Amino acid sequence: MSAEDAEVLAARVVALRDRLAPHVPDIDPGDLMLILESLLKPIGSGRRFLLREIRPGVYVA
Amino acid sequence: MSPDEEFLVTLLRALQVASLEAIVVGNAGAALQGAPVTTQDVDLLIRDTALNRDKLLRFATALGAARPVEISELTSTQRIIGAAWPVDILFETMSGGLHFASVRSRAKTIAIGDVSATVASLEDIIRSKEAADRAKDHATLPILRDALRVIKLLETEKP
Repeated sequence: MSAEDAEVLAARVVALRDRLAPHVPDIDPGDLMLILESLLKPIGSGRRFLLREIRPGVYVA
Repeated sequence: MSPDEEFLVTLLRALQVASLEAIVVGNAGAALQGAPVTTQDVDLLIRDTALNRDKLLRFATALGAARPVEISELTSTQRIIGAAWPVDILFETMSGGLHFASVRSRAKTIAIGDVSATVASLEDIIRSKEAADRAKDHATLPILRDALRVIKLLETEKP
């Protein structure tokens, strides 16, 4: 993702957070931003979600 | 695409080669719908038929992996080892009393590159994790429930 794309994504996440947060006050603000970022980065856009255990208790994406 | 997404494309192409109908369930299915979760494997739900057992071997071969092996005597779930990530195969049902036909009726089709995946609804994935009642499910459920609420909220905003 380019720096420009990252700025656009961040702006969309913040705008959605500001709009949705009053409707879900019990969701942790950090979690809400995590969810929104995930939703705005659809599969195929470079998302990582599969982990490997490189040694007991240590995982990498 | 990330290596994770490329693996899913490889997996979906292998399903096509084997003509095996499968539903992506578990955390990989949740991630496909935008939930911010991670997993160490991909879970697939298939019908339990003799034909599908044959197709499963073709699927594993197409994936460049070993033939499926039983995970334990306590479950019918099989694991395919040797691909970039492990693939678990659930036959006919998943936790929560969810059967293939009902899960498929609520499933979503999600495109990845030039292929598409049939993915269990986030509601069904949550229901199965609630029923499975394992520590790792309890760890994931709060963020899955929150993600579902946000998705529903966004859907209500659509014109």
